[in-house]
Amino acid sequence: MSISGKTALVGVGVTAFGKVPGRSAWSLQTEAVRKAIEDAGLTKDDVDALLTESQFSEPLLLHGHALGRMLGLKTNFLSSMSIGGATAGAIVQQAAMAIDAGLCEVAVCVYGETAKTGLPMLFGKAQMGRGQADDMAFGMAGGPVMEARSAMRYKHEYGVTDEMFGAVPVAFREHATRNPNATYRDPLTMEDYLAARMVAEPLRVLDCCIGASDGAVALVVTSAERARDCAKPPVFIAGMGQGANLDGLKDPTHYTRFAGARSSERAFRMAGIATEDVDVAQWYDCFTSTVLITIEDYGFCKRGEAGPFALEGNLGLGGKLPSNTNGGMLSEANLTGWNNLAEGVRQIRGESTSQVDGAEVCVVSGHGGFQVAHSTLVLTTG
Amino acid sequence: MPHTLTELVAGITPTVIDETRPFWEGTLASELRVQVCAACGAKQLPGGPCCTSCWSQDLRWERASGRGTVFSFTIVRHPFHPSFAEQVPYVVADVQLDEGPIFTSNVTDLGVEEVTIGMPVEVWFDNEIEDAFHTKLRLPKFRPIKG
Repeated sequence: MSISGKTALVGVGVTAFGKVPGRSAWSLQTEAVRKAIEDAGLTKDDVDALLTESQFSEPLLLHGHALGRMLGLKTNFLSSMSIGGATAGAIVQQAAMAIDAGLCEVAVCVYGETAKTGLPMLFGKAQMGRGQADDMAFGMAGGPVMEARSAMRYKHEYGVTDEMFGAVPVAFREHATRNPNATYRDPLTMEDYLAARMVAEPLRVLDCCIGASDGAVALVVTSAERARDCAKPPVFIAGMGQGANLDGLKDPTHYTRFAGARSSERAFRMAGIATEDVDVAQWYDCFTSTVLITIEDYGFCKRGEAGPFALEGNLGLGGKLPSNTNGGMLSEANLTGWNNLAEGVRQIRGESTSQVDGAEVCVVSGHGGFQVAHSTLVLTTG
Repeated sequence: MPHTLTELVAGITPTVIDETRPFWEGTLASELRVQVCAACGAKQLPGGPCCTSCWSQDLRWERASGRGTVFSFTIVRHPFHPSFAEQVPYVVADVQLDEGPIFTSNVTDLGVEEVTIGMPVEVWFDNEIEDAFHTKLRLPKFRPIKG
C-alpha cells in the first residue's frame, strides 16, 4: 500500500528571520515548535515524536536529545538527521513513514540557527571528519567556491548567459517584496544583478543565497485521519523521493545533472502527478545554477533550456512555474531549505504573501552537501 | 597530539589519515599518486578504505603521470576563509587526470582570466607544510603545459 496521502502537514511555526540578536538557537527552535503546535490546534501533550536537524554552529550528534529535554517531551520516536540541504524534506519524509508505520502519532520536525548574530556555522572538517575536507587547502572554502565549478561547467555545456542566471534572483526578489519576514525586500532589477560583484566566477554575490540567517522553522506531521481534526486545512504529503550522488563533483557526469532526477521521478510517481499538474514550486535555491539544473532534473525543461525558461519570466506569479514565492533562500532567509518547505505548506493552505490562485499541487526540493543529496516532497490539497 | 584543536576542526590544512597517507607521502617525493584496485583495476582519488567500483580492499598506490586537463574551475574573488585573504583572486580547478580521477587543486603560473575548460595542465608541488598531527606534506598544484 502506498504511503501517498496517508499523512499531512498540519502545523507551521516560524520565528523572525534575519537578525534576531540576543537569542540562542535553542530559544528560536523552541519558539518555532510552540507556534507550530498552536497553529495545528494541538497541545504539548499531543506530541509524541521529535525530529531535528542540528544547528550548524554546534553540529551536535545528539541534538534531538538536548532539545527534547528542554521541551520536556516524552517521545515514541526520536531522530536527528543531517544530509545537508536535503534534510528538511527528508526529515518530513521520515516523520510520515514513522506515523504510517504506527510508531508515533504527532511528530514535530524542527531546525533553527543563530548564524547571523551568534556563533558562525561550521563546515568542512567539523562535519565531514579528518581527511575528508582536504580540498580546503586549495581554497575550497565557502559554498560558492564549491558550487561555482558546477555553474561554470553548466554555462560551458549549454551556453547559459549571465542574464539567465539573473532571472532567478530577480523573480524571487519580486516575491520577497511582499513578504514581511524576508531579509531582502527591495526590488531587484537585471541591471542590479549584472552590476553585482563576482565572488566565485561565474557566481555573483546575487547568485548566492543569504550567507547566514537567524531563525527557526518547525513543522507538525500527523496521520490524514487526525489531520482532519486540526485547526487548519491539511496539507497532504502525496509524494516523497530521495537521491544522492555521493561522489559529488568527483564524477564528471554530476556537474550539470543532479540526483534530483531520480528523487523527483519517484516522488511524482508516488503522487500520481506529471510536471503539468504542478501549480507552484519551492526550489532549494542555494545558488541560481542549482535552481536551473534542478528544474531540468525534474523534467520541467529539457537540458539547457531552464535558463531561457527563467528569462521568459516563468518563475514569477503568472508564469508557467511560479517558484520560491517566499523569496527563497536568495531573499527571505537561509534556513537550509526549511523556510522554503514552510512556504510550500502556506501555498497549499492559500496563506502565502505571493499566493498562486487555486494552488493544489506544490513541489518542494531539498538539495545539499554540494551536489550530493536530494529530497523531493509533493504537497497537495488532497 | 595535534598542534591545536582549532586546526583539527576548523583549519584548512589537510589531515593525513590511514586511507590517504600514501598519497601525501608521495608528495614529499614529488610524486602524484592514485589509488588502484588490485581486483578490478579502477583508479580513484581521494584514497578510501575500498574500491568504490567493486568494494575490494586490495588496494595499491601508483605514480600518476601528473598530467591532466581542466574539467571545470572557478575564479575565487572573495576570501570566504580568512586564510585566503592574501591569495584572492585565485583559481580552484577540477583537474581530470590522464588516469581518470578528478583532483581538485589550484591552477597557477598564469593570469586567473586565462584559465579555460579543457586546458592541459601538469602537476608541481608547493612548499613542505605540516598537518595537525605534525605529518609533513606538500600540496600538489597545477600549471599549464607549455608548447
